[in-house]
Amino acid sequence: MIKITPSELNLIAQYIHEISGIYLDQSKSYLFETRLGAIAERLGCKSYQDFYNKAKRDLTRNIERQIIDAISTNETLFFRDKGPFELLQHKLLPEIIDRRTPKAPNLKTNIRIWSAAASTGQELYSIAIIIKELLRDLSRYAITLLGTDISDSAISQASYGKYNKFEIERGLDQRYLQRYFSLFGDSWKIKDEIRAMVNFRKLNLMAPFTSLGKFDIIFCRNVAIYFTLEDRKKLFNRIADSLADDGFLIIGSTESLSGVCPRFVPKRHLRAIFYQKNN
Amino acid sequence: MKNLSILVVDDDPVIRRLIQQRLEKANYPVEVAKDGTEASDLLNSKYYDVVLTDLMMPGGIGGIEVLEIAKALHSNTEVVLITAHSSVDTAVEAMKKGAADYLEKPVNFDELFLKLDKIANLKTILRNAQDLQQAMDTTENVASQTIQDLEMRVARLDELLDAVETSLTNTDEDEDVRIAKALALLAKR
Ligand SMILES: C[S@@+](CC[C@H](N)C(=O)[O-])C[C@H]1O[C@@H](n2cnc3c(N)ncnc32)[C@H](O)[C@@H]1O
Repeated sequence: MIKITPSELNLIAQYIHEISGIYLDQSKSYLFETRLGAIAERLGCKSYQDFYNKAKRDLTRNIERQIIDAISTNETLFFRDKGPFELLQHKLLPEIIDRRTPKAPNLKTNIRIWSAAASTGQELYSIAIIIKELLRDLSRYAITLLGTDISDSAISQASYGKYNKFEIERGLDQRYLQRYFSLFGDSWKIKDEIRAMVNFRKLNLMAPFTSLGKFDIIFCRNVAIYFTLEDRKKLFNRIADSLADDGFLIIGSTESLSGVCPRFVPKRHLRAIFYQKNN
Repeated sequence: MKNLSILVVDDDPVIRRLIQQRLEKANYPVEVAKDGTEASDLLNSKYYDVVLTDLMMPGGIGGIEVLEIAKALHSNTEVVLITAHSSVDTAVEAMKKGAADYLEKPVNFDELFLKLDKIANLKTILRNAQDLQQAMDTTENVASQTIQDLEMRVARLDELLDAVETSLTNTDEDEDVRIAKALALLAKR
């Protein structure tokens, strides 16, 4: 195994921050070695300096992709924390629908929802399932469900919509499993009716995202925890720009925005918190 | 006593006895079944960590069926098949159906003990991972309640401070009145 020196640690940590915003604690050198060691060895690197040089010089950015896949934590599950999804079903969606439904009967109701660190897709599919359960007939709605993530491998699993039994067992109701998934070998695949409701694409939250347009509801959960306070402040400020004035933001259940973004005010409903802009 | 309970299924009484004795000598809790039917009854009545079964047995229930029954009842039960060299292909097929491993006849006991150690290690690791996940879920739930409470409290205090500031800087009123109003606001906290 290649050993990492303190100065290389610093170099690699800065590089990772530069390409992903992820801030890694340099006291955990084993984390760098266990997660990046295999890639470095596959590339035939003699040191981490060598690894860094190769990554920097790689115009295909293939190494950068591998590094991001290796250091990002993709841990997620269907209906994670339950609360936000009950909130969505009983309060946020009904309110948005109420406000967005046009007077003219032949016009569709527009709803745009963004899962900003979608990982392998469980969060966005949970949202799609809630919408399908709530609205049944979607023909009167124009719904955009967008999932983005920096990790290519996460996005490709999300797009494929296939989950093994461990991923399924965590959080997914038997009822939803039967209704919205089909058995696929020894795994489960999301049915086309749900798959067709969503879109996934690669996006680095550190880069501009105004081109995505404005959203009515944004889920940005359990990703900013990997960023520095400085980056977190900038991120949520830009998220406020991408949220409709009467829109809703949901963050992770152990995250907080106090001291991070004064443009958001927390509101509590049932057992969950959501944020609105203080326009 | 080792903490891996084993069910040995073999229709040949000599081999059955031999395996049982060797496992008992190595301190494993062992039970035996003389065919698939008896194995099925035992599996239905209690949980075993490992089922060690012959692949070819007379009667309707062979090794593959024992594997299927065991896995259907408890996915945590690990099944090791004992096969003749000629039916290794079938054993490989069985691995696809969830068998943990297979052994060729005649049984080499060093190999068997090695495989059992490996299964025990995997079970320990899985158990630890589950414990960790459980502990993390609990911590996360408690933390999230605390954070939610604090988040709401901070928001309330911010609002209060804004109101106090407005009241204190309201030059339309006398200083005494401003202070009194600010104090009244603070008293409501
Ligand atoms: C722990 S998962 C959260 C998944 C889901 N939102 C949830 O709460 O269950 C964190 C995800 O953030 C992604 N991520 C990390 N840095 C990112 C960045 N700069 N831009 C976009 N996604 C990023 C990782 O690839 C990973 O999939």
